[in-house]
Amino acid sequence: MSVLPDRRRLGRWALNGAAGLAFLYILIPLIFVTWLSVYAQEIPSYPPEGYSLRWYGAGIANDRFLSAFWTSTQVGVIATLIGLVVALPAALALNRYKLFLGGAISNLLLMPLIVPGIVLGFALYVFQVETEIATGLPIIGSFWGIVFGHVLLVIPWTVRLILASLAGFDRTLEEAAQNLGADRLTTFRRVTVPSILPGIVAGCLFGFVSSFGNLEVSLFLVAPGQTTLPIAILQYLEWRIDPSVAAVSVMQIAVIAVALLVTDRFVKISRVV
Amino acid sequence: MTDTASSAPARTGLTAAALVGPATAVVALGVLGPLALLARYSVNKYDPYEFMIAAVSPENYVQFFTDPFYLAAFWTTIRISVLCTAVCIVAGFPLAYVLARTQSRFKNLMIIGVVVPLFVGNAVRAAGWMTLLGSRGFLSVSLERLGITQGPTEIMYSELAVILGIIAVNLPYMVLTLQSVIEGISRNLEEAAFSMGASPATMFRRVLWPMALPGVAAGTILTFILAMNAYATPVLLGGPEFHMMAPLIYDQFQLNNWPFSAAVAFILMASTLALTVAAGIATRQRFRT
Repeated sequence: MSVLPDRRRLGRWALNGAAGLAFLYILIPLIFVTWLSVYAQEIPSYPPEGYSLRWYGAGIANDRFLSAFWTSTQVGVIATLIGLVVALPAALALNRYKLFLGGAISNLLLMPLIVPGIVLGFALYVFQVETEIATGLPIIGSFWGIVFGHVLLVIPWTVRLILASLAGFDRTLEEAAQNLGADRLTTFRRVTVPSILPGIVAGCLFGFVSSFGNLEVSLFLVAPGQTTLPIAILQYLEWRIDPSVAAVSVMQIAVIAVALLVTDRFVKISRVV
Repeated sequence: MTDTASSAPARTGLTAAALVGPATAVVALGVLGPLALLARYSVNKYDPYEFMIAAVSPENYVQFFTDPFYLAAFWTTIRISVLCTAVCIVAGFPLAYVLARTQSRFKNLMIIGVVVPLFVGNAVRAAGWMTLLGSRGFLSVSLERLGITQGPTEIMYSELAVILGIIAVNLPYMVLTLQSVIEGISRNLEEAAFSMGASPATMFRRVLWPMALPGVAAGTILTFILAMNAYATPVLLGGPEFHMMAPLIYDQFQLNNWPFSAAVAFILMASTLALTVAAGIATRQRFRT
Protein backbone atom coordinates (compact mmCIF):
# COMPACT_ATOMS: atom_id res chain seq x y z
CA MET A 1 0.00 0.00 0.00
CA SER A 2 2.85 2.40 0.79
CA VAL A 3 4.29 2.21 -2.71
CA LEU A 4 1.14 3.29 -4.48
CA PRO A 5 1.86 5.10 -7.73
CA ASP A 6 1.56 8.87 -7.36
CA ARG A 7 -1.59 9.14 -9.38
CA ARG A 8 -3.36 6.55 -7.29
CA ARG A 9 -2.29 8.22 -4.09
CA LEU A 10 -3.58 11.52 -5.40
CA GLY A 11 -6.84 9.81 -6.31
CA ARG A 12 -7.11 8.43 -2.79
CA TRP A 13 -6.64 11.90 -1.32
CA ALA A 14 -9.29 13.30 -3.64
CA LEU A 15 -11.67 10.50 -2.67
CA ASN A 16 -11.14 10.99 1.06
CA GLY A 17 -11.44 14.74 0.64
CA ALA A 18 -14.75 14.45 -1.19
CA ALA A 19 -16.03 12.00 1.43
CA GLY A 20 -14.93 14.30 4.25
CA LEU A 21 -16.69 17.26 2.67
CA ALA A 22 -19.94 15.32 2.29
CA PHE A 23 -19.68 14.13 5.92
CA LEU A 24 -19.08 17.69 7.10
CA TYR A 25 -21.98 18.95 5.00
CA ILE A 26 -24.35 16.48 6.66
CA LEU A 27 -23.23 17.68 10.09
CA ILE A 28 -23.12 21.43 9.32
CA PRO A 29 -26.67 22.20 10.52
CA LEU A 30 -26.07 20.35 13.78
CA ILE A 31 -22.71 22.07 14.32
CA PHE A 32 -24.19 25.53 13.83
CA VAL A 33 -27.25 24.93 15.97
CA THR A 34 -24.93 23.71 18.75
CA TRP A 35 -22.72 26.77 18.33
CA LEU A 36 -25.71 29.12 18.49
CA SER A 37 -26.91 27.46 21.70
CA VAL A 38 -23.86 28.77 23.57
CA TYR A 39 -23.95 32.36 22.24
CA ALA A 40 -24.01 34.83 25.10
CA GLN A 41 -26.35 37.36 23.49
CA GLU A 42 -29.93 36.80 22.43
CA ILE A 43 -29.63 38.00 18.82
CA PRO A 44 -28.09 35.31 16.61
CA SER A 45 -25.59 37.59 14.90
CA TYR A 46 -22.04 36.48 14.23
CA PRO A 47 -19.57 36.90 15.87
CA PRO A 48 -20.99 36.13 19.34
CA GLU A 49 -20.26 38.63 22.09
CA GLY A 50 -19.23 35.76 24.31
CA TYR A 51 -20.29 32.31 25.35
CA SER A 52 -22.75 31.16 27.96
CA LEU A 53 -24.70 28.09 28.96
CA ARG A 54 -27.61 30.05 30.34
CA TRP A 55 -29.84 29.33 27.33
CA TYR A 56 -30.03 25.70 28.36
CA GLY A 57 -31.62 26.79 31.59
CA ALA A 58 -33.91 29.18 29.70
CA GLY A 59 -34.89 26.43 27.26
CA ILE A 60 -35.78 24.02 30.07
CA ALA A 61 -37.63 26.73 31.98
CA ASN A 62 -39.80 27.52 28.93
CA ASP A 63 -43.19 25.94 29.72
CA ARG A 64 -44.10 25.46 26.08
CA PHE A 65 -40.97 23.46 25.31
CA LEU A 66 -41.18 21.49 28.54
CA SER A 67 -44.81 20.42 28.11
CA ALA A 68 -44.19 19.73 24.41
CA PHE A 69 -41.24 17.53 25.40
CA TRP A 70 -43.46 15.53 27.77
CA THR A 71 -46.21 15.16 25.19
CA SER A 72 -43.69 13.91 22.62
CA THR A 73 -42.16 11.46 25.10
CA GLN A 74 -45.53 10.06 26.22
CA VAL A 75 -46.85 9.75 22.67
CA GLY A 76 -43.59 8.14 21.52
CA VAL A 77 -43.44 5.57 24.33
CA ILE A 78 -47.10 4.55 24.14
CA ALA A 79 -47.13 4.45 20.32
CA THR A 80 -43.96 2.32 20.34
CA LEU A 81 -45.42 -0.17 22.82
CA ILE A 82 -48.66 -0.52 20.85
CA GLY A 83 -46.68 -0.72 17.62
CA LEU A 84 -44.56 -3.54 19.06
CA VAL A 85 -47.56 -5.47 20.36
CA VAL A 86 -49.20 -5.55 16.91
CA ALA A 87 -46.01 -5.76 14.83
CA LEU A 88 -44.33 -8.69 16.59
CA PRO A 89 -47.09 -11.25 15.85
CA ALA A 90 -47.50 -9.83 12.35
CA ALA A 91 -43.80 -10.25 11.62
CA LEU A 92 -43.89 -13.81 13.00
CA ALA A 93 -46.85 -14.69 10.78
CA LEU A 94 -45.29 -13.11 7.69
CA ASN A 95 -42.06 -15.01 8.34
CA ARG A 96 -43.61 -18.44 9.04
CA TYR A 97 -46.83 -18.88 7.14
CA LYS A 98 -47.50 -18.73 3.45
CA LEU A 99 -50.18 -16.11 3.84
CA PHE A 100 -52.90 -15.38 1.36
CA LEU A 101 -51.80 -11.97 -0.02
CA GLY A 102 -48.72 -12.13 2.21
CA GLY A 103 -46.69 -9.90 -0.13
CA ALA A 104 -49.47 -7.34 -0.29
CA ILE A 105 -49.79 -7.32 3.50
CA SER A 106 -46.09 -6.73 4.10
CA ASN A 107 -46.15 -3.89 1.58
CA LEU A 108 -49.22 -2.43 3.28
CA LEU A 109 -47.44 -2.49 6.64
CA LEU A 110 -44.57 -0.44 5.17
CA MET A 111 -46.93 2.04 3.54
CA PRO A 112 -46.94 4.71 6.28
CA LEU A 113 -43.26 5.31 5.41
CA ILE A 114 -44.06 5.88 1.74
CA VAL A 115 -47.12 8.12 1.91
CA PRO A 116 -45.95 11.76 2.33
CA GLY A 117 -46.19 12.81 5.97
CA ILE A 118 -48.31 15.84 5.11
CA VAL A 119 -50.77 13.73 3.13
CA LEU A 120 -50.95 11.04 5.83
CA GLY A 121 -51.60 13.67 8.50
CA PHE A 122 -54.27 15.41 6.44
CA ALA A 123 -55.97 12.11 5.56
CA LEU A 124 -55.97 11.01 9.21
CA TYR A 125 -57.43 14.34 10.25
CA VAL A 126 -60.38 14.23 7.84
CA PHE A 127 -60.90 10.60 8.82
CA GLN A 128 -61.02 11.56 12.48
CA VAL A 129 -63.42 14.40 11.72
CA GLU A 130 -65.79 12.04 9.89
CA THR A 131 -65.49 9.44 12.63
CA GLU A 132 -66.21 12.02 15.30
CA ILE A 133 -69.28 13.24 13.41
CA ALA A 134 -70.51 9.68 12.94
CA THR A 135 -69.91 8.42 16.49
CA GLY A 136 -69.94 11.52 18.66
CA LEU A 137 -66.69 10.41 20.37
CA PRO A 138 -64.19 13.17 21.16
CA ILE A 139 -61.36 12.16 18.83
CA ILE A 140 -60.05 15.30 17.11
CA GLY A 141 -57.08 16.77 18.89
CA SER A 142 -57.23 14.10 21.60
CA PHE A 143 -54.16 12.40 23.02
CA TRP A 144 -55.23 9.02 21.65
CA GLY A 145 -55.85 10.55 18.25
CA ILE A 146 -52.17 11.56 18.09
CA VAL A 147 -51.08 8.18 19.47
CA PHE A 148 -53.01 6.37 16.73
CA GLY A 149 -51.23 8.42 14.07
CA HIS A 150 -47.87 7.67 15.63
CA VAL A 151 -48.58 3.93 15.92
CA LEU A 152 -48.77 4.03 12.12
CA LEU A 153 -45.30 5.60 12.01
CA VAL A 154 -43.86 2.96 14.37
CA ILE A 155 -45.28 -0.16 12.66
CA PRO A 156 -43.09 -0.06 9.50
CA TRP A 157 -39.88 0.13 11.57
CA THR A 158 -40.80 -2.64 14.02
CA VAL A 159 -42.13 -4.96 11.31
CA ARG A 160 -39.11 -4.38 9.06
CA LEU A 161 -36.45 -4.87 11.71
CA ILE A 162 -38.11 -7.86 13.41
CA LEU A 163 -38.56 -9.52 10.01
CA ALA A 164 -34.84 -8.95 9.31
CA SER A 165 -33.97 -10.64 12.62
CA LEU A 166 -36.32 -13.55 11.95
CA ALA A 167 -34.71 -14.14 8.56
CA GLY A 168 -31.45 -14.99 10.31
CA PHE A 169 -33.06 -17.16 13.01
CA ASP A 170 -32.51 -20.92 12.89
CA ARG A 171 -35.88 -22.58 13.44
CA THR A 172 -34.37 -25.93 14.36
CA LEU A 173 -33.60 -24.32 17.73
CA GLU A 174 -37.35 -24.16 18.39
CA GLU A 175 -37.78 -27.79 17.40
CA ALA A 176 -34.95 -28.75 19.73
CA ALA A 177 -36.62 -26.92 22.60
CA GLN A 178 -39.93 -28.63 21.91
CA ASN A 179 -38.24 -32.03 21.66
CA LEU A 180 -36.83 -31.38 25.11
CA GLY A 181 -40.37 -30.90 26.40
CA ALA A 182 -40.92 -27.15 26.25
CA ASP A 183 -44.44 -26.10 25.31
CA ARG A 184 -45.01 -23.50 22.60
CA LEU A 185 -45.22 -20.54 24.93
CA THR A 186 -42.04 -21.49 26.78
CA THR A 187 -40.27 -22.03 23.47
CA PHE A 188 -41.36 -18.62 22.28
CA ARG A 189 -40.38 -16.94 25.54
CA ARG A 190 -37.07 -18.69 26.16
CA VAL A 191 -35.79 -19.38 22.64
CA THR A 192 -37.43 -17.23 19.97
CA VAL A 193 -37.62 -13.88 21.76
CA PRO A 194 -34.00 -13.89 23.02
CA SER A 195 -32.76 -14.72 19.52
CA ILE A 196 -34.61 -11.90 17.81
CA LEU A 197 -34.15 -9.41 20.67
CA PRO A 198 -31.73 -7.21 18.68
CA GLY A 199 -34.39 -6.71 16.01
CA ILE A 200 -37.04 -5.98 18.62
CA VAL A 201 -34.88 -3.43 20.43
CA ALA A 202 -33.75 -1.74 17.22
CA GLY A 203 -37.30 -1.67 15.87
CA CYS A 204 -38.60 -0.06 19.06
CA LEU A 205 -35.84 2.55 19.18
CA PHE A 206 -36.18 3.51 15.53
CA GLY A 207 -39.96 3.58 15.93
CA PHE A 208 -39.68 5.77 19.00
CA VAL A 209 -37.19 8.13 17.41
CA SER A 210 -39.27 8.54 14.25
CA SER A 211 -42.36 9.22 16.36
CA PHE A 212 -40.46 11.65 18.61
CA GLY A 213 -39.09 13.62 15.66
CA ASN A 214 -42.25 13.56 13.54
CA LEU A 215 -43.59 16.91 12.45
CA GLU A 216 -45.88 16.54 9.46
CA VAL A 217 -48.38 13.99 10.80
CA SER A 218 -48.58 15.57 14.26
CA LEU A 219 -49.19 19.00 12.72
CA PHE A 220 -52.74 17.93 11.78
CA LEU A 221 -53.53 15.93 14.90
CA VAL A 222 -52.57 18.16 17.82
CA ALA A 223 -55.00 20.39 19.65
CA PRO A 224 -54.15 24.10 19.95
CA GLY A 225 -52.98 23.92 23.58
CA GLN A 226 -51.11 20.64 23.25
CA THR A 227 -48.15 20.40 20.92
CA THR A 228 -45.27 18.01 20.39
CA LEU A 229 -41.65 19.14 20.58
CA PRO A 230 -40.97 19.34 16.80
CA ILE A 231 -44.10 21.47 16.35
CA ALA A 232 -43.12 23.74 19.24
CA ILE A 233 -39.69 24.21 17.64
CA LEU A 234 -41.18 24.86 14.17
CA GLN A 235 -43.68 27.41 15.47
CA TYR A 236 -40.97 29.18 17.45
CA LEU A 237 -38.64 29.30 14.43
CA GLU A 238 -41.36 30.70 12.17
CA TRP A 239 -41.48 33.64 14.51
CA ARG A 240 -37.87 34.09 15.60
CA ILE A 241 -34.56 32.33 16.13
CA ASP A 242 -32.50 32.72 19.29
CA PRO A 243 -30.11 30.63 21.39
CA SER A 244 -32.85 29.19 23.64
CA VAL A 245 -34.53 27.32 20.78
CA ALA A 246 -31.06 26.17 19.71
CA ALA A 247 -30.42 24.86 23.23
CA VAL A 248 -33.70 22.92 23.15
CA SER A 249 -32.69 21.53 19.74
CA VAL A 250 -29.30 20.43 21.07
CA MET A 251 -31.00 18.59 23.92
CA GLN A 252 -33.18 16.81 21.38
CA ILE A 253 -30.10 15.91 19.33
CA ALA A 254 -28.46 14.56 22.50
CA VAL A 255 -31.47 12.38 23.38
CA ILE A 256 -31.51 10.91 19.88
CA ALA A 257 -27.74 10.38 19.72
CA VAL A 258 -27.81 8.51 23.05
CA ALA A 259 -30.74 6.38 21.86
CA LEU A 260 -28.80 5.47 18.71
CA LEU A 261 -25.60 4.70 20.64
CA VAL A 262 -27.61 2.37 22.91
CA THR A 263 -29.20 0.70 19.88
CA ASP A 264 -25.76 0.25 18.37
CA ARG A 265 -24.80 -1.98 21.31
CA PHE A 266 -27.63 -4.37 20.47
CA VAL A 267 -27.47 -4.29 16.72
CA LYS A 268 -25.03 -2.66 14.34
CA ILE A 269 -26.81 0.41 12.99
CA SER A 270 -24.99 0.12 9.68
CA ARG A 271 -26.91 -3.10 9.06
CA VAL A 272 -30.44 -1.95 9.84
CA VAL A 273 -30.91 1.51 8.37
CA MET B 1 -45.82 -26.08 13.76
CA THR B 2 -45.69 -29.40 11.92
CA ASP B 3 -48.54 -31.02 13.86
CA THR B 4 -50.99 -28.20 13.34
CA ALA B 5 -49.93 -27.56 9.78
CA SER B 6 -50.49 -31.12 8.63
CA SER B 7 -53.57 -32.05 10.63
CA ALA B 8 -55.54 -28.83 10.63
CA PRO B 9 -54.71 -26.40 7.87
CA ALA B 10 -57.83 -24.42 8.71
CA ARG B 11 -56.59 -23.83 12.23
CA THR B 12 -53.17 -22.74 10.93
CA GLY B 13 -54.87 -20.24 8.67
CA LEU B 14 -56.83 -18.95 11.61
CA THR B 15 -53.69 -18.61 13.76
CA ALA B 16 -51.88 -16.78 10.98
CA ALA B 17 -54.82 -14.45 10.45
CA ALA B 18 -55.04 -13.75 14.18
CA LEU B 19 -51.32 -12.90 14.27
CA VAL B 20 -51.20 -10.67 11.24
CA GLY B 21 -54.73 -9.30 11.63
CA PRO B 22 -54.29 -6.51 14.20
CA ALA B 23 -51.37 -4.80 12.46
CA THR B 24 -53.06 -5.09 9.06
CA ALA B 25 -56.29 -3.69 10.47
CA VAL B 26 -54.51 -0.75 12.12
CA VAL B 27 -52.66 0.22 8.94
CA ALA B 28 -55.69 -0.35 6.70
CA LEU B 29 -57.83 1.74 9.03
CA GLY B 30 -55.15 4.40 9.44
CA VAL B 31 -53.85 4.69 5.88
CA LEU B 32 -56.12 3.11 3.27
CA GLY B 33 -59.41 4.30 4.78
CA PRO B 34 -58.28 7.92 5.28
CA LEU B 35 -56.68 8.04 1.82
CA ALA B 36 -59.90 6.80 0.24
CA LEU B 37 -61.83 9.46 2.13
CA LEU B 38 -59.34 12.11 1.00
CA ALA B 39 -59.76 10.98 -2.62
CA ARG B 40 -63.50 11.43 -2.21
CA TYR B 41 -62.98 14.93 -0.76
CA SER B 42 -60.78 15.91 -3.69
CA VAL B 43 -63.74 15.80 -6.10
CA ASN B 44 -66.00 17.80 -3.80
CA LYS B 45 -66.64 21.49 -4.33
CA TYR B 46 -65.60 24.31 -2.05
CA ASP B 47 -67.75 27.22 -1.11
CA PRO B 48 -66.50 30.02 1.16
CA TYR B 49 -69.83 30.12 2.99
CA GLU B 50 -70.91 26.51 3.03
CA PHE B 51 -67.38 25.10 3.35
CA MET B 52 -67.62 21.82 1.43
CA ILE B 53 -70.32 20.71 -0.99
CA ALA B 54 -70.62 17.05 -1.96
CA ALA B 55 -70.05 16.64 -5.69
CA VAL B 56 -68.18 14.62 -8.26
CA SER B 57 -66.30 17.23 -10.18
CA PRO B 58 -62.77 17.54 -11.61
CA GLU B 59 -62.88 21.24 -10.75
CA ASN B 60 -60.05 21.21 -8.19
CA TYR B 61 -57.68 19.32 -10.46
CA VAL B 62 -58.52 21.59 -13.40
CA GLN B 63 -58.02 24.66 -11.22
CA PHE B 64 -54.59 23.43 -10.15
CA PHE B 65 -53.33 22.85 -13.67
CA THR B 66 -54.73 26.08 -15.08
CA ASP B 67 -53.61 28.49 -12.37
CA PRO B 68 -50.06 29.85 -12.95
CA PHE B 69 -49.49 30.20 -9.19
CA TYR B 70 -50.04 26.51 -8.47
CA LEU B 71 -48.25 25.41 -11.62
CA ALA B 72 -45.23 27.46 -10.58
CA ALA B 73 -45.18 25.70 -7.19
CA PHE B 74 -45.49 22.36 -9.01
CA TRP B 75 -42.52 23.03 -11.32
CA THR B 76 -40.44 24.51 -8.49
CA THR B 77 -40.98 21.30 -6.51
CA ILE B 78 -39.94 19.10 -9.43
CA ARG B 79 -36.96 21.26 -10.38
CA ILE B 80 -35.62 21.34 -6.82
CA SER B 81 -36.20 17.61 -6.32
CA VAL B 82 -34.32 16.67 -9.51
CA LEU B 83 -31.43 19.01 -8.71
CA CYS B 84 -31.10 17.89 -5.07
CA THR B 85 -31.25 14.23 -6.07
CA ALA B 86 -28.51 14.71 -8.69
CA VAL B 87 -26.27 16.47 -6.17
CA CYS B 88 -26.93 13.70 -3.62
CA ILE B 89 -25.74 11.03 -6.07
CA VAL B 90 -22.51 12.89 -6.89
CA ALA B 91 -21.76 13.98 -3.32
CA GLY B 92 -22.97 10.77 -1.69
CA PHE B 93 -21.01 8.22 -3.68
CA PRO B 94 -17.47 9.06 -2.42
CA LEU B 95 -18.62 9.13 1.23
CA ALA B 96 -20.58 5.89 0.83
CA TYR B 97 -17.54 4.26 -0.78
CA VAL B 98 -15.15 5.38 1.95
CA LEU B 99 -17.59 4.27 4.70
CA ALA B 100 -18.05 0.89 3.03
CA ARG B 101 -14.32 0.22 2.60
CA THR B 102 -12.81 1.78 5.70
CA GLN B 103 -11.07 -0.43 8.25
CA SER B 104 -11.17 2.32 10.86
CA ARG B 105 -12.30 1.47 14.35
CA PHE B 106 -14.39 4.61 14.24
CA LYS B 107 -16.47 3.26 11.36
CA ASN B 108 -19.57 2.77 13.53
CA LEU B 109 -19.18 6.21 15.03
CA MET B 110 -18.95 7.73 11.54
CA ILE B 111 -22.10 5.87 10.52
CA ILE B 112 -23.89 7.17 13.62
CA GLY B 113 -22.72 10.63 12.57
CA VAL B 114 -24.55 10.11 9.29
CA VAL B 115 -27.63 8.59 10.97
CA VAL B 116 -28.18 11.09 13.83
CA PRO B 117 -29.19 14.00 11.56
CA LEU B 118 -31.79 11.71 9.95
CA PHE B 119 -33.70 11.53 13.18
CA VAL B 120 -33.08 15.01 14.48
CA GLY B 121 -35.98 16.53 12.62
CA ASN B 122 -35.93 19.07 9.83
CA ALA B 123 -36.95 22.02 11.99
CA VAL B 124 -33.86 21.63 14.17
CA ARG B 125 -31.61 21.40 11.14
CA ALA B 126 -33.28 24.46 9.64
CA ALA B 127 -32.27 26.36 12.80
CA GLY B 128 -28.65 25.45 12.05
CA TRP B 129 -28.94 26.75 8.49
CA MET B 130 -30.53 29.97 9.75
CA THR B 131 -27.46 30.56 11.96
CA LEU B 132 -25.13 29.95 9.05
CA LEU B 133 -27.00 31.71 6.24
CA GLY B 134 -28.80 34.62 7.89
CA SER B 135 -27.88 38.17 6.85
CA ARG B 136 -25.86 38.55 10.07
CA GLY B 137 -24.90 34.88 10.13
CA PHE B 138 -21.52 33.20 9.93
CA LEU B 139 -21.28 33.03 6.13
CA SER B 140 -22.39 36.59 5.40
CA VAL B 141 -20.12 38.15 8.03
CA SER B 142 -17.13 35.98 7.05
CA LEU B 143 -17.48 36.89 3.37
CA GLU B 144 -17.67 40.56 4.25
CA ARG B 145 -14.60 40.38 6.50
CA LEU B 146 -12.58 38.63 3.82
CA GLY B 147 -13.46 41.48 1.50
CA ILE B 148 -15.26 39.21 -0.97
CA THR B 149 -18.58 40.97 -0.57
CA GLN B 150 -19.67 44.43 0.50
CA GLY B 151 -22.65 44.50 2.80
CA PRO B 152 -24.61 41.51 4.03
CA THR B 153 -25.25 38.48 1.81
CA GLU B 154 -28.85 37.34 2.09
CA ILE B 155 -29.15 33.65 1.30
CA MET B 156 -31.97 32.89 3.71
CA TYR B 157 -35.50 32.88 2.30
CA SER B 158 -34.45 31.95 -1.20
CA GLU B 159 -34.55 28.93 -3.45
CA LEU B 160 -30.81 28.44 -2.88
CA ALA B 161 -31.32 28.14 0.90
CA VAL B 162 -34.05 25.54 0.37
CA ILE B 163 -31.81 23.58 -2.02
CA LEU B 164 -28.88 23.63 0.44
CA GLY B 165 -31.21 22.50 3.22
CA ILE B 166 -32.87 19.68 1.30
CA ILE B 167 -29.51 18.31 0.12
CA ALA B 168 -28.36 18.09 3.74
CA VAL B 169 -31.60 16.35 4.72
CA ASN B 170 -31.46 13.79 1.89
CA LEU B 171 -27.73 13.10 1.62
CA PRO B 172 -27.66 10.65 4.58
CA TYR B 173 -30.37 8.50 2.95
CA MET B 174 -28.36 8.32 -0.27
CA VAL B 175 -25.10 7.57 1.58
CA LEU B 176 -26.60 4.78 3.70
CA THR B 177 -28.32 3.15 0.73
CA LEU B 178 -25.16 3.24 -1.41
CA GLN B 179 -22.93 2.15 1.45
CA SER B 180 -24.90 -1.05 2.08
CA VAL B 181 -24.75 -1.92 -1.63
CA ILE B 182 -21.03 -1.14 -2.01
CA GLU B 183 -20.27 -3.31 1.02
CA GLY B 184 -21.78 -6.20 -0.90
CA ILE B 185 -19.38 -5.69 -3.84
CA SER B 186 -16.21 -7.68 -3.33
CA ARG B 187 -13.04 -5.65 -3.00
CA ASN B 188 -11.33 -8.38 -5.08
CA LEU B 189 -13.23 -7.27 -8.17
CA GLU B 190 -11.71 -3.82 -7.86
CA GLU B 191 -8.24 -5.25 -7.32
CA ALA B 192 -8.71 -7.50 -10.34
CA ALA B 193 -9.52 -4.49 -12.50
CA PHE B 194 -6.46 -2.63 -11.18
CA SER B 195 -4.15 -5.61 -11.68
CA MET B 196 -5.22 -5.78 -15.30
CA GLY B 197 -4.12 -2.19 -15.71
CA ALA B 198 -7.35 -0.29 -15.32
CA SER B 199 -7.07 3.26 -14.04
CA PRO B 200 -9.27 4.18 -11.04
CA ALA B 201 -11.60 6.04 -13.42
CA THR B 202 -11.94 3.00 -15.69
CA MET B 203 -12.41 0.69 -12.73
CA PHE B 204 -15.18 2.97 -11.43
CA ARG B 205 -16.89 3.22 -14.80
CA ARG B 206 -16.65 -0.46 -15.80
CA VAL B 207 -16.81 -2.31 -12.45
CA LEU B 208 -17.94 -0.32 -9.44
CA TRP B 209 -20.66 1.88 -10.96
CA PRO B 210 -22.46 -0.90 -12.88
CA MET B 211 -22.46 -3.14 -9.80
CA ALA B 212 -23.61 -0.33 -7.52
CA LEU B 213 -26.40 0.65 -9.93
CA PRO B 214 -29.21 -1.06 -7.99
CA GLY B 215 -28.18 0.92 -4.91
CA VAL B 216 -27.97 4.13 -6.92
CA ALA B 217 -31.49 3.48 -8.21
CA ALA B 218 -32.86 2.76 -4.73
CA GLY B 219 -31.15 5.82 -3.24
CA THR B 220 -32.31 8.03 -6.10
CA ILE B 221 -35.93 6.99 -5.69
CA LEU B 222 -35.78 7.51 -1.93
CA THR B 223 -34.16 10.96 -2.05
CA PHE B 224 -36.38 12.10 -4.90
CA ILE B 225 -39.54 11.14 -3.01
CA LEU B 226 -38.27 12.86 0.15
CA ALA B 227 -37.46 16.05 -1.78
CA MET B 228 -40.89 16.10 -3.44
CA ASN B 229 -42.54 15.75 -0.01
CA ALA B 230 -40.31 18.21 1.87
CA TYR B 231 -42.26 20.37 4.28
CA ALA B 232 -40.28 21.96 7.13
CA THR B 233 -37.23 22.91 5.05
CA PRO B 234 -39.13 24.99 2.43
CA VAL B 235 -41.32 26.57 5.13
CA LEU B 236 -38.43 27.67 7.33
CA LEU B 237 -35.66 28.32 4.79
CA GLY B 238 -37.80 29.49 1.86
CA GLY B 239 -39.93 31.92 3.80
CA PRO B 240 -43.52 32.95 3.06
CA GLU B 241 -42.91 33.92 -0.58
CA PHE B 242 -41.50 30.55 -1.57
CA HIS B 243 -43.88 27.78 -2.60
CA MET B 244 -43.54 24.02 -2.82
CA MET B 245 -46.20 21.32 -2.93
CA ALA B 246 -46.24 19.97 0.64
CA PRO B 247 -46.49 23.40 2.30
CA LEU B 248 -49.19 24.26 -0.26
CA ILE B 249 -51.30 21.34 1.00
CA TYR B 250 -51.06 22.57 4.58
CA ASP B 251 -51.75 26.21 3.63
CA GLN B 252 -54.89 25.31 1.69
CA PHE B 253 -55.98 23.11 4.59
CA GLN B 254 -55.60 26.05 6.96
CA LEU B 255 -57.63 28.23 4.57
CA ASN B 256 -60.37 25.60 5.01
CA ASN B 257 -60.36 24.66 1.34
CA TRP B 258 -60.19 20.95 2.04
CA PRO B 259 -61.31 19.72 -1.39
CA PHE B 260 -58.56 21.65 -3.16
CA SER B 261 -55.99 20.67 -0.56
CA ALA B 262 -56.97 17.02 -1.03
CA ALA B 263 -56.61 17.38 -4.80
CA VAL B 264 -53.10 18.85 -4.37
CA ALA B 265 -52.23 15.88 -2.12
CA PHE B 266 -53.18 13.43 -4.86
CA ILE B 267 -51.43 15.45 -7.57
CA LEU B 268 -48.28 15.36 -5.44
CA MET B 269 -48.45 11.60 -4.88
CA ALA B 270 -49.37 10.81 -8.49
CA SER B 271 -46.66 13.00 -10.01
CA THR B 272 -44.02 11.59 -7.64
CA LEU B 273 -45.03 8.06 -8.57
CA ALA B 274 -45.18 8.84 -12.31
CA LEU B 275 -41.75 10.50 -12.35
CA THR B 276 -40.20 7.66 -10.33
CA VAL B 277 -41.61 5.03 -12.69
CA ALA B 278 -40.63 7.02 -15.79
CA ALA B 279 -37.07 7.46 -14.51
CA GLY B 280 -36.90 3.72 -13.80
CA ILE B 281 -38.01 2.82 -17.33
CA ALA B 282 -35.63 5.36 -18.92
CA THR B 283 -32.66 4.06 -16.91
CA ARG B 284 -33.43 0.44 -17.73
CA GLN B 285 -33.66 1.14 -21.46
CA ARG B 286 -30.46 3.14 -21.47
CA PHE B 287 -28.45 0.43 -19.74
CA ARG B 288 -29.89 -2.46 -21.69
CA THR B 289 -28.64 -1.16 -25.01
